[in-house]
Amino acid sequence: MKVVVKNWHAIAQWKWDTGNNDADDGDVEGDVCGICRVPYEGCCPSCKVPGDDCPLIWGECSHVFHMHCLLKWIGTAASKQQCPMDRRPWVTAERKVDATTNSAPTP
Amino acid sequence: MNFQPHEKLSKHVVSKWSASFGRLNREQTGITGLLSFSEAWTIARDFLYPRDLTDASPPPPKKIRDVKAAFDVLAQCKMLPVLMEDFLEDMHKQQYLVTREIKIFMDKYDATSDPQYIAKMAIRVVEWYKGWSPPSELGGTLAAAYTLNFQTHIYSVLPPSFTRGFKALLNLTFNLVHMASVPEWMSSLVPANHPPPARADSPLWSAFDKLGLLDRYESLVSSVCYEYIEAYILETCTKRWDESMLVAIREWMTDNIVPWMIMPYARGARNAEEARSMLQGVGSRLDFHVCKTLTDLRTSEIFDIIVDYPDSSGALHDLKECLQRVDQRSQLVQTLRKANNKRLLHPGADTKDILTQYVSIIRCLRIVDPPGVLLYKVADPIRRYLRDRPDTIRCIVASLVGDGESGDSLVDDNEPIQPLQQQQEEDYSDPNWEPEPIDAGPEFRTNKPSDIISTLVSIYDSKELFVKELQVLLAQRLLAITDGNYEKERRNIEILKIRFGESALQVCEVMLRDMTDSKRTDTHIQAQKSSNLHATVISKHFWPPLQSGKFQMPGQLKELREKYAKEFHLFKPDKKLNWLPHLGTLKLDIELDDRTISAEVPPLEAACIELFSQKDEWSVKELIEQMAGSMESTAIIKALGTWIDLGILKEEGEDVYRLLNTAEEGDQGHRPSTRPAMTIDEEPPVTSLQQQEAAQMQVFWKFIEGMLTNLGTLSLDRIQSMLKFAPGYDRNIEQLGGFMEAARREGLVTVKDGMWKLQR
Repeated sequence: MKVVVKNWHAIAQWKWDTGNNDADDGDVEGDVCGICRVPYEGCCPSCKVPGDDCPLIWGECSHVFHMHCLLKWIGTAASKQQCPMDRRPWVTAERKVDATTNSAPTP
Repeated sequence: MNFQPHEKLSKHVVSKWSASFGRLNREQTGITGLLSFSEAWTIARDFLYPRDLTDASPPPPKKIRDVKAAFDVLAQCKMLPVLMEDFLEDMHKQQYLVTREIKIFMDKYDATSDPQYIAKMAIRVVEWYKGWSPPSELGGTLAAAYTLNFQTHIYSVLPPSFTRGFKALLNLTFNLVHMASVPEWMSSLVPANHPPPARADSPLWSAFDKLGLLDRYESLVSSVCYEYIEAYILETCTKRWDESMLVAIREWMTDNIVPWMIMPYARGARNAEEARSMLQGVGSRLDFHVCKTLTDLRTSEIFDIIVDYPDSSGALHDLKECLQRVDQRSQLVQTLRKANNKRLLHPGADTKDILTQYVSIIRCLRIVDPPGVLLYKVADPIRRYLRDRPDTIRCIVASLVGDGESGDSLVDDNEPIQPLQQQQEEDYSDPNWEPEPIDAGPEFRTNKPSDIISTLVSIYDSKELFVKELQVLLAQRLLAITDGNYEKERRNIEILKIRFGESALQVCEVMLRDMTDSKRTDTHIQAQKSSNLHATVISKHFWPPLQSGKFQMPGQLKELREKYAKEFHLFKPDKKLNWLPHLGTLKLDIELDDRTISAEVPPLEAACIELFSQKDEWSVKELIEQMAGSMESTAIIKALGTWIDLGILKEEGEDVYRLLNTAEEGDQGHRPSTRPAMTIDEEPPVTSLQQQEAAQMQVFWKFIEGMLTNLGTLSLDRIQSMLKFAPGYDRNIEQLGGFMEAARREGLVTVKDGMWKLQR
């Protein structure tokens, strides 16, 4: 007996590959952005559409935020260019940012 | 001794005698005066004497001059009043003649119920009346006294059945117009030497008038007229709602009733002008009666008229016009409310039907009563009832997005789409402001004619409920689409955006975008590496909760999925896929030794059959273990059932299923070997709004349980105010009350004097 799949319409949810959780914990409620307290897979308060239009930004300090949230924070004088979580100078993690910015323009 | 009074008496008698004598003798010589008086008296009495008309022998001819002279003499003697008394006395004695004839006619009528005898009787009695009538020269007093006496007698001898006969006769007069020829008996009523009158019943009416029947039976006459009109209206208008009947009825009145009305009500009129002024009062009374009858009829039919809308707009316009004359608005409201309760607001009625009827009621009553007072009164119970129905929102939303299967939508496509309207405050500075109608209740608010959807949405206090339900509905529909054609949904959302506002539907917008994005991504992935798997990738937080639960896809299915996920990760390196294993559909060909079966099935079914390609026999327990799933065994059994139905699997004894590589004997006969089978999940994959709410409330139940454990008894208010500290709690006190009531029914809590307590 052989089962031939002719067509499969599957449904999946996307999630950011933050690198710090393994693949199969879909049921766990996702982490939230430390600035706006909205889940990473949601969008920052100034955006309406999640995903590529409201990407994440990874810091070398291992903290992750919505990019818009962090840029807004960095833009204020009070931030002193520090990560809002640990007050270390903010340094964007290269690997992830490159990946984000490269794939952001959708084909 | 007592001589004195005697003498006085005789003196008195003498003086009286001489006075009387003087009056009768009129100061003529001797007693000639007395003699001539005596002669005149005889002539006059003889002249007036009420003779038996049936007596063939003619009365002795009298010279009119002699009679006149005689009356003159009597007048001089001032004896006319005495003569009158004598005459009336004679009349009284002769009355039995009339009575006898009346009895003959009435007996005939009683035997046959033919109103012609009533007519004939009236004509005959008038003959008596005329025959006995004193000449008019004798002055009004005598004539009046005579008429009064005669009529009194007539009325006293008419039997009760006369009323019935009179009514029948009057009824007959209406139908004269329609009769091809006047009944023979009626034309015979006209004396032969007279020209035929304009109306055949004219002599009848003058007879009635003579006998004073029209005055005495006035209410009977008008009630006959009312009944006639009523019968006509009931006959012509019942169940005819497509056109306005009022105009036609009024025309009919002019053509049929007005000519008749002239007979009883405007007999004395000399010209049309006079007739018109005489008919004015009774005419407006009849018009009122027309309106009232029509209103009564339409009121009793109102529910069906509304069902028939818009084919019944004629009837509604009639009703509107009639209600302006007749004050029956409250009856209309009551009737409609009663009909609604009886025919609409019961568990047997479909919510969709209730909504459809409600929308029709709105439209219809807006015609009848533009300010909306009637509508408000009628709609209130419907709205309250709808609020209690669990699927009302879903029905409204379904009609908002134009659910294809139901065909007709609640909303008229021609209606302009406009934003939802909030209830407006009254603008008193508006120069066109009008006070509320007098029968408006205290809660009544003038609703500016708003569109239907606004009215429906306003059944509920907030539109958030609608948006949530809309989201659920949209999710169901989007996930069911496999051909990538979202245009219809997009159009719907665009329309709804106008209604609910852009921001409220932001979530739906994201859902639609997920669909188009998925399609684009899929195209890209297929271009890289063609696959039979096509994924819809959704943004978790923007979709309603979906059916969750995990299981491992076996064999090639797992491979397919992993390959696709890998390609996706290559394309979007920063994203991962999180599969929702229960959702979606697969089109499969099952190739067996002797046959191939095609099927379209949900993923769980596919996973089961895939496992059977590894091994021919499985038990349910093994299957669950193999898939490392957390699902109920019933779900597996159901999935297996699908394949059993298709003749691919067979249940072998206790909990063991075996693959039928070759079709079983006998099975082949009636089961086509290749049959496309469609299995549709009965439960929609998207969790419904109520399930969501119940799930949320479960969380809050923990809080409630906690506080009741610690604090003993609490009032609903206290519970509510404490729950407000709980994160995400957004229920109002009514919802909480409903929840507590449900908990009480389950025996979790008890309530006494408004204080809640845990059941122990």
